[in-house]
Amino acid sequence: MEANELVSFFEEDLCLFHLRSRKKTSALQEMVRHLALARRISDERFIMEMLKNRESLGSTGLGNGVAFPHGKSLAIKRLTVLFAKSSSGVDFDSLDGKPTRIFFLILAPSDRGAETYLSLLSNLIGIVQNQSLLKKLHDVKDFPSLIEILGGIES
Amino acid sequence: MKEEHRLLIALQDLDIMIKEAKDTSTSKELESMGFKLTGLNELQEARKKLASKIPPALLQRYEKLAKHYRMGILPVTGDLCLGCFVKLPTSFFSAAHSHELLVCENCGRMLYIP
Repeated sequence: MEANELVSFFEEDLCLFHLRSRKKTSALQEMVRHLALARRISDERFIMEMLKNRESLGSTGLGNGVAFPHGKSLAIKRLTVLFAKSSSGVDFDSLDGKPTRIFFLILAPSDRGAETYLSLLSNLIGIVQNQSLLKKLHDVKDFPSLIEILGGIES
Repeated sequence: MKEEHRLLIALQDLDIMIKEAKDTSTSKELESMGFKLTGLNELQEARKKLASKIPPALLQRYEKLAKHYRMGILPVTGDLCLGCFVKLPTSFFSAAHSHELLVCENCGRMLYIP
């Protein structure tokens, strides 16, 4: 996936730079509520249920302070990405046991193929594996800076 | 939307998740990204719990459809059934106001208006 394609999935009104919640379920709820307020989803309950089920399959907190809650639902019309950042950190059952500060919430429609969805997930994981980009993400404060970080990557 | 229809849609989301977790190619891809997919039993339990809340006849109908097609229930987009892409008759939309679960006359899938 080219950097400009990856960047195209991010929208300014779907970025939360000050996530307030400190616990896993409330953090997911805060992100899902934001998607509902931004009119990207019509039924929060479907999405919350699906995300909680996905977390019971295995935590999407991959460590290094980053999590990728994701899943498919009929309640999603198109691939949607929400970026969120918490300064205090969230107890997200991450693999390294450390608090999670950066979230990429990825939702995909269940009635279409998984290719773009998995490719986007894989590309974002590739970005956070780069220590320099990860540090920049931990420091990011606004949408233009986020796009600059994500758009600067080479696929 | 009726609660039982909402439950059916949630069940289908869960079925797709279980199917992908069992699918070797998808699960290997997710594991190669660093995800640990160790909670399949928890998902199966969640499915049982959810399925028990759905009226048996509706559940049976859904399971039969889901076995035959990948998805037994789908939203209507425009005037099309998203399963077989056949145009739905006008009478379909007047019936839709009753909030009953509708059926595509061509493929038999259950349909709802989101």
